[in-house]
Amino acid sequence: MPKPAPVYVLGGAQTDFARNWSKEGKHFVAMMREAVIGAMDSTRIEPREIETAHVGNFAAELYAKQGHVGAFFVEIDPAFSGMPTSRHEAACASGSIAILAASAEIEAGRYGLACVTGVEQMKTVDPATGGDYLGTAAWYEREAKGIEFPFPKLFGRLGDEYDKRFGLKDEHLAHISAVNYSNAKRNPNAQTRNWFMSESHAQQASRFNTVIGGRIKVSDCSQVTDGSVAIFLASQKYASKWAKRNHKQLGEIPRILGWGHHTAPLEFATKVAESKGNPYVLPHTREAILDAFRRAGIASVAEVSGIETHDCFTTSEYMAIDHFGLTSPGESWKAVEEGVIEMSGKCPINPSGGLIGAGHPVGATGVRQMLDCWRQVTQQAGDYQVDGAQKFAMLNIGGSGTTSCAFVVGK
Amino acid sequence: MGELRFRRCVRVGPRRRGGGRPRIGPEPFKLLGEPERRLLDNNKIVILGANGTMGAGAGCVFAGAGFQVTMLAREMDKAKAGLRAAQNAARADAVAERITLGTYDNDLARAAGEAGLIFESLAEDLPLKRHFFELIDRHRRAGTVVASGSSGLSIAEMARGHSDSFRKNFLGIHLFNPPQLIVGTEAIPGTETEPAVTLAVVEMLSRRLGRKVIVTKDRPAFVGNRVGFKVLNETAQLAAEHGVAFIDYLIGPHTGRAMPPLATIDLVGWDVHKAIVDNVYVNCEDDEAHACFQLPDFIERGIAEGRMGVKTPESGGFYRKAGKDTFVVDLKTGNHEPLKRPSPIAFVENMKQLHRVARYTEAMKVFAAATGADAELCRRVVLGYVSYALNRVGEVAESSHDVDTIMSYGFNWAPPCAIVDLLGARNTATMLERLKLAVPAVVEQAARSDAKIFKGGVLEYGRTFVG
Repeated sequence: MPKPAPVYVLGGAQTDFARNWSKEGKHFVAMMREAVIGAMDSTRIEPREIETAHVGNFAAELYAKQGHVGAFFVEIDPAFSGMPTSRHEAACASGSIAILAASAEIEAGRYGLACVTGVEQMKTVDPATGGDYLGTAAWYEREAKGIEFPFPKLFGRLGDEYDKRFGLKDEHLAHISAVNYSNAKRNPNAQTRNWFMSESHAQQASRFNTVIGGRIKVSDCSQVTDGSVAIFLASQKYASKWAKRNHKQLGEIPRILGWGHHTAPLEFATKVAESKGNPYVLPHTREAILDAFRRAGIASVAEVSGIETHDCFTTSEYMAIDHFGLTSPGESWKAVEEGVIEMSGKCPINPSGGLIGAGHPVGATGVRQMLDCWRQVTQQAGDYQVDGAQKFAMLNIGGSGTTSCAFVVGK
Repeated sequence: MGELRFRRCVRVGPRRRGGGRPRIGPEPFKLLGEPERRLLDNNKIVILGANGTMGAGAGCVFAGAGFQVTMLAREMDKAKAGLRAAQNAARADAVAERITLGTYDNDLARAAGEAGLIFESLAEDLPLKRHFFELIDRHRRAGTVVASGSSGLSIAEMARGHSDSFRKNFLGIHLFNPPQLIVGTEAIPGTETEPAVTLAVVEMLSRRLGRKVIVTKDRPAFVGNRVGFKVLNETAQLAAEHGVAFIDYLIGPHTGRAMPPLATIDLVGWDVHKAIVDNVYVNCEDDEAHACFQLPDFIERGIAEGRMGVKTPESGGFYRKAGKDTFVVDLKTGNHEPLKRPSPIAFVENMKQLHRVARYTEAMKVFAAATGADAELCRRVVLGYVSYALNRVGEVAESSHDVDTIMSYGFNWAPPCAIVDLLGARNTATMLERLKLAVPAVVEQAARSDAKIFKGGVLEYGRTFVG
């Protein structure tokens, strides 16, 4: 099979994830507009240059009673009228699916420049209603209907499965939470950058850190977030032109070096039953990561400078640690204890603060992760820069480990 | 002020490659200069006035950034109340792990002798503050930085008469309320403050506490409150003629503010509002907007009757809540009547709809083109804000960027330069002239080439326009 054409990442922008757009009296198209204009400003790309747009969004029908979200891209600028656009949905992995669709079009030579935008406005409803909406990312009728906050409970079960197979201490989950909050303090767009967190706060259930379900407390969870992110993906031809006018060498521009995409059965119990006897709790997630590594031509996680992973809950980051291969299966605690995942460690995880610290606007998260990978490998991550980052990996998960998308970004 | 520049911070030591349980929290920074080392290596902060809103909030902010904080009050019970408030502000009981409590009589001398920074957050009472600074001067170590949290009193007056070492290490750190949510911060050096001390404090506030910091001159109310309370008091004056609900609607969030101006005065407290505007009115007689700082009689009367705004829920302020019902004061009778929303005004509703979809330029075009007395009144206040704010450059603010920063992050108001850009610099200058408002130098200069003057883009100012 011939090697596919390269897909370049030119940069982008995101909204401040601490904002509450409902309080600002705004429609989600406002969020998209600010992100896309910010992305065009920062990359010096003109509206008329964009040939196609892909929008990642989970549940605007529920949160904003609005479908046909891809068409809203056209509302951003008069020059976009007539542009081919589409919306992609795979729960929390919606942003990655939008990236995959855009990059496939570029690889196929259909278009030279694509804008990928992720958007989710979640603060339109109270937490209980929002929790119920999120339940539609599982098999709603079987796993979420009538259950208060179904997703924390599902990811609590992921922790329980680790506990059953290998043993799991909650103190390691608390440490993961504290690291993400600490990293978020350096990220000017992180939702929790001014929030208090300490390891002891994360360890104890209290009036401010209530138990949501099972072993999951508030500090183990990503928060309800409004946000939008826009990035530009380009063909080699467009990237060459863009590099020239911005006085860059083509070789300086990061590419999507590899990707992986696997979908597991929807129900968590089925996933667990399917992985019985497998060293990995979520083998399809492991396969997505390995596919991305293989396509990027890297042998192991040792070849990436850091990871942006999907820590919708501390248990999902705990899972990602061994699934990325930072430890043997079931030994993620070792990487936590040895500081491997911290900013000063061998493989920093979530320098941005991740979903727990930076925020989790569901449909935008995958796009945000790729933007942060781009920031890292172009040394533009500011105070959360991993020194000398060359290649960065990301993992974006939809549902209870159902849709897994992994990428490696680098030069 | 002009020579103060941030220095690049670099992490200490080699990158650790695994092994050993690492610290969690802000990385230590290697900083040049003795003041920085004193502030950060010492890691101990003392707060006076622990039980006040700002003292408790400061406790939350400093402890949240990893400092060991000693919160002092007159009595232990008050210090404990301050800790509870800090825990509520942090939404974490564990913040107590970084906080010790004490009283002035028992603990000030010892704590002052150990601290890297002493932060005074006492009542806005100059003699009281001076009394405590005298005690601090006696007990502090030579290099300890002392900061006042005053929102507008003279830094020079507070420093006067204390030791050389005290004066060199003394400055204002003005946090806005509530400090755990509002990150805008003013640093106000006195004439004798060592530039390195100011630099160290700005560095610490910016990098370790994540504050948006500007350095201002030591003028009444500094930059944020000077500009903000000019507008707020002007709207209070207008309310006497036009009514409370109408003014809050006309000069509402669509004009670039998180909440309507009179509701803001209720939140701040009428007594605090009076203290700030009176200070400017008395001490800035040459101010081009001096009349805007004249406190309306009804506020003076209201305070005497115990009407202070949100803090006096029974008597209210401009508004009074009773269950789900909202009442608004009739300034002629002093009685609260059920709130009736003013009749919609077309240009206001148009602006709100355009903000709702982030079409801020189009919204400001509607603002500029609207006809009628209501639109003209709205423009007079909003462009009066732009004119007054940007005219503070040189007098109290170092740059228009600093004015933008503090209005945006201290008040959650649209940065004046962003308003100029959205209207167009030439158009802004023309409108200011027509309204007989001073055209600030930065606008005049930009108008020559119709240049943009806001440092940033829509992602920075968008949040300040409400739909």
